[in-house]
Amino acid sequence: MTQILTPTPQRRKDASPRRRHPLAIDARSSGGLVAKIVSLGLVLALAVALTPTLVATANWAFLIMLWAVVAVVVAVYLTGRIVPAKYLLPGVLMLVLFLIYPIILTFQLSTTNYGDGTRSSKEAAVARIVGTSAVQVPDGAVYSLVVGTQGAITTGPFEMLLVDTATEQAYVGSEEEGLTELPADTVTVDAGQITAAEGYTILTRQEQNDLSGAGQPLDGFAVPVNDDTVIKAQGFQAIEMRTPLIYDEAADTITNVDTGVVYTAERAPSGDRSYFVDDAGQRLATQSWSENVGTFNFERIFSDQRITGPFLSILGWTLVFAVGSVGSTFALGLLLAVTLNDTRMRGQRAFRSFLIMPYAIPGFISLMVWAGFWNRDYGLVNDMLGTGIDWFGDATWAKVAVLLTNLWMGFPYMFLICTGALQSIPSDLKEAASIDGATGFGQFRRIVFPLLLVSTAPLLVSSFAFNFNNFNAIQLLTKGGPFSPDNPTAGGTDILISYTYRLAFGSGGSQIGFASAVSVLLFVLTGVLAAIQFRGTRKLEEMN
Amino acid sequence: MRRTTITAAIATTALLLTACGGGGGGSEETTSPEAGDSETSAEETSAAPEGEEEETVAVRGDEDLVIWTDDVKLDAVTAAAEAFGEANGISVGVQAIVNTRTDFITANEAGNGPDVLVGAHDWIGQLVANGAIDPLQLGADALGGYAERAVSAVTYNGQLYGIPYGVESLVLYCNTAYAPDTYATLDDAIAAGQAAKDAGQVDSALNVAQGVDGDPYNMQPLYTSAGGYLFGLTADGTPDPADLGVGTPEGQAAAAKLAELGSAGSGVLSTAISGDNAIALFADGRAGCLISGPWALGDVTTGLGEDGFTVQPIPGFAGMGPAVPFMGAQAFYVASNGANKSFAQAFVTGTTGGALNSEDTMQILFDNANLPPAMTSVREAAAAADPLVGVFGDAADQAQPMPAIPAMDQVWTPLGQAYAAIIGGADPAGTMTTAGETISAAIASS
Amino acid sequence: MTSAPTPTAATVATTAVVKPSPRGRRRPPKGAPADRLTGARWWRTLSWRYLVGVVACIYAVIPILYIVSASLNPIGSVASTDLIPTVVSFANFEQLWNNPSRPFFRWALNTVVVALVVVVVQLIFSCFAAYAFSRFRFRGRRAGLLSLLLILMFPQILVTVALFQMFSIVGEVLPAFGLDTLPGYILIMLGGSLGQVYLIKGFFDTVPIELDEAAKIDGASHLQVFFRILLPLLQSILVISGLLVFVGVIGEFLLASIFLRSTDVKTIAVGMQGVLAADQSNNLGWFAAGSVVIAVPIILLFQYLQRYIVGGITAGAVKG
Repeated sequence: MTQILTPTPQRRKDASPRRRHPLAIDARSSGGLVAKIVSLGLVLALAVALTPTLVATANWAFLIMLWAVVAVVVAVYLTGRIVPAKYLLPGVLMLVLFLIYPIILTFQLSTTNYGDGTRSSKEAAVARIVGTSAVQVPDGAVYSLVVGTQGAITTGPFEMLLVDTATEQAYVGSEEEGLTELPADTVTVDAGQITAAEGYTILTRQEQNDLSGAGQPLDGFAVPVNDDTVIKAQGFQAIEMRTPLIYDEAADTITNVDTGVVYTAERAPSGDRSYFVDDAGQRLATQSWSENVGTFNFERIFSDQRITGPFLSILGWTLVFAVGSVGSTFALGLLLAVTLNDTRMRGQRAFRSFLIMPYAIPGFISLMVWAGFWNRDYGLVNDMLGTGIDWFGDATWAKVAVLLTNLWMGFPYMFLICTGALQSIPSDLKEAASIDGATGFGQFRRIVFPLLLVSTAPLLVSSFAFNFNNFNAIQLLTKGGPFSPDNPTAGGTDILISYTYRLAFGSGGSQIGFASAVSVLLFVLTGVLAAIQFRGTRKLEEMN
Repeated sequence: MRRTTITAAIATTALLLTACGGGGGGSEETTSPEAGDSETSAEETSAAPEGEEEETVAVRGDEDLVIWTDDVKLDAVTAAAEAFGEANGISVGVQAIVNTRTDFITANEAGNGPDVLVGAHDWIGQLVANGAIDPLQLGADALGGYAERAVSAVTYNGQLYGIPYGVESLVLYCNTAYAPDTYATLDDAIAAGQAAKDAGQVDSALNVAQGVDGDPYNMQPLYTSAGGYLFGLTADGTPDPADLGVGTPEGQAAAAKLAELGSAGSGVLSTAISGDNAIALFADGRAGCLISGPWALGDVTTGLGEDGFTVQPIPGFAGMGPAVPFMGAQAFYVASNGANKSFAQAFVTGTTGGALNSEDTMQILFDNANLPPAMTSVREAAAAADPLVGVFGDAADQAQPMPAIPAMDQVWTPLGQAYAAIIGGADPAGTMTTAGETISAAIASS
Repeated sequence: MTSAPTPTAATVATTAVVKPSPRGRRRPPKGAPADRLTGARWWRTLSWRYLVGVVACIYAVIPILYIVSASLNPIGSVASTDLIPTVVSFANFEQLWNNPSRPFFRWALNTVVVALVVVVVQLIFSCFAAYAFSRFRFRGRRAGLLSLLLILMFPQILVTVALFQMFSIVGEVLPAFGLDTLPGYILIMLGGSLGQVYLIKGFFDTVPIELDEAAKIDGASHLQVFFRILLPLLQSILVISGLLVFVGVIGEFLLASIFLRSTDVKTIAVGMQGVLAADQSNNLGWFAAGSVVIAVPIILLFQYLQRYIVGGITAGAVKG
């Protein structure tokens, strides 16, 4: 599908200013071929080596992806037909695997209610709710526990070999047959614990532990004792427990047999999740379960008053913040570049050294230090300016402070760029302008600045996009604040991404599904904005 | 052929990455048992001896017991875990996680989490809502050795979810140079600090960290002394989300008292005092008194010297109720999706062999964390050696466990902002009413 | 994905064609105009430049001075620190060495390993792709460029949950690349390995295509053209984009905080932030000392590479 337009070889050899390079190299040597075969072989070998594990663990998506990658790699590098693809593939593979694929997963998440309390399936949630209600039977027996088997020590079947800590009676407990006394002459008990039992291989603690993890044979292993009590392991002890809750799958209800209260699943006011509640609406547990909610999250963004209100004002400030950051850093960077770009000045190098220092300090450090500078009474800024502004306490001043901090962090970068761009503008252009009578500022405005804008425009666009999502700047400075007492979800300096982050991971309970929906919107927004700007840039280029 | 370089690059990259795995990885804080020093059977301890063989490539969960905590508790938890590992001949790994709670929930759900989690008791609500930790079965007699409030802090919905090892609550620090006494009322302490402030010796009479967004945790003793409450208690003594005290007349009256201390009143409370600077300023001798917890002790001692300050439980306002700060219990929890449940349960609920529920281990934790022990016998011994431990312990015993119910999450931001606004001079009654409505609405719609 | 914005090639490094070695930094020849300016004329044309320069330098340096001061302050909080330290103590620096639960230099080493791998791979992959975008004409080229830019703008923190789930599975199959491993973290960072394409492509565009064509007539393959002709000209742009990636990797915190948990595999950013987040008031001095130790080599690196960044572009023409 790719078509290559071969450049027409019309020039003579001597057109090249660098002819001395040794072009008569024998690159088609066998060494290259061997390297190619070895590399492709390695890729193949890796895929082959991983396949059994993937099959064993039923990671089908992973398996398909792996072999798709192998197929693409082989197709591209063995056929030798699609030359650009050979150059693009390595980076594109990385991009697809570690950026695009997760983005697609995020899109999927945006149609679910995934978040705090809704991370597991309903089945698992019910099992947890019923399971965690189990309590030790009052005055119930406590046993010391070892696990034994009459089969293999890795697969079982397993049985509990118990010694009642009070009576020192030994028992064997199995999931099917319950608790059976073991005659004293068939077991050896040492320090209250069975060390040998006839017919059983006794697992070491290490072996027992390895089988106790989530999803392993001993996880949830329960020996029924009476109608409603079971013996369960807790470490290397076993305890008689009883759960008052019973789940009725057909009716989808949970009943507390002690109180007789029946709990049914009911949609919560939030609209995206359900809980088990009694007749009075009292919740049985705080745990809910994951559900597919379709477009609910998107509808919520546009319909929920508590979301729509802040959303628009946050979007507005996000744009101001991004434009303001790019504009201010560019302006200052340019001013400094123009000022210092005079060969007659001494110590240019020293000036530049100092000016790029802020860029060399890792951003998270600068931001945390600056956060302290803005304190009203003890901060450096008010101290030096002699003012008493409550910077982070007032939404407007906080915005100013954020922009000023971002200016400090960003101007060295723009300074570098502008210096480079200025120096690459041919001096004959300037001279020509001078001959035309343009001097000083006029020359700069008419000749230098447009040229400079052309070469830096794509960069300003990507800088805009970066600041549009500049999470660190907001989170480490103000955490989105200041907040007002009537709106705890959106702060005065919140940009969309910090707002989304709080929704997704905030302390008020993660709403990852909803945050994913906002992310998707954010993605579309950034894309549209960037595309518009690129059209503008292109026009600019065409004009020149 | 000439086109091989790219493939070679990929392969090289892969190799390079793998190589980093060996070099850059490694297993953290891991202790392998030294062969033969434990009473457990020999075949168990034949596992990897100490050293850096190839099998110690960094893979989380390699150890027989993996514990997550944060940076502050890392040393103490590591010491306790190592003692357990040594006694039982197993390897243990302790990891300091930045966003411990949220990362734990995510990782546990994905089957990638630790076996044991260490953290504050007010996490329990969120952890249980996510089914992330298992309840523990310990008889009443086994819990008798712990401070009562610590046990009730880690009890949630009638189930015990963690074993507490330390308790903490806010106390009142005063700089002896300016406020040398032990004060019966908060007003007296403020007056002493204020005198120093008026004399230009300090910048602030009393540091209560609020910051521009307010801080209900640090305000709680003042708020409660002035008559306010957050949640009423149900019959069984647990916080009742249906009874929110923020917008009630009591809450408004308390807010009025706070407003008197704000910028419109005496100016004792200030949003310029934040968590970033409250302790440092006091330790620097620039504040008369400070409301903070045991975590400030190190800095304060460094700054003011052993005898430069006093510590006492926070007194109430003159003629008003007692100050009841939040009590926090630091506790160990068993993860619901851990890979090593047997060792995890044995470590957390066990009483012998280096397990947590024993005086020896609690002593190790105290020695390394310097947090007032939750186990009364250990605390008594520690208090005898260091009276400050007793003061911190007493303060915690008088405090109210921080509510772990999910509704509490809705309280922090609105209430904090309300405090900040009231300190700044906003109408206390109206502000508290708004905050109360916001919180109630959020609770109702969740 | 590297978050740092990147300069376009057109603005930098256009001169390598003429002047491949940036080491030949030009000094003004003797008798340059600077020497001849005197008195009032100097005052008029240059003094304001010095003034602006000095003011800007003060603005740039004061916060950094503050960090240095805090690192020397034994209490070491921003609030209790003055610009000029009143007490000078190296206790905070000693702490960097002495605290085994905060192996600062181990974290630094990890960071350097991650940064080097990411820089090298990202540069190689970006160069390849930039070469393809610049030198070949194929269907979907422009669309590819544009969508690449859009995708790179997607903030990776929004996909953390998805990435986490993904690497949980990777870890089961390939433990060396799972969560809490440096290789796994590097892989995630390599999702942005086309991050420098724009910068480098802009550079390729400024190299006359005649150069390639001449070489092809001489019998060179496209790969040889790439390696023997174009790559040597790339020097200064590689330095710049490498530096940008490097700074970006060192500052990356969000993903690292979720993926790296063991003390021994943490990077500087996540390790330091963890220490500070856990107990801000007690650890500020330590943090400041760490910051100084990180910043000094980076600043030195910037100084050392300055001639590539700025000096290497003093001559030559911009295209168009």
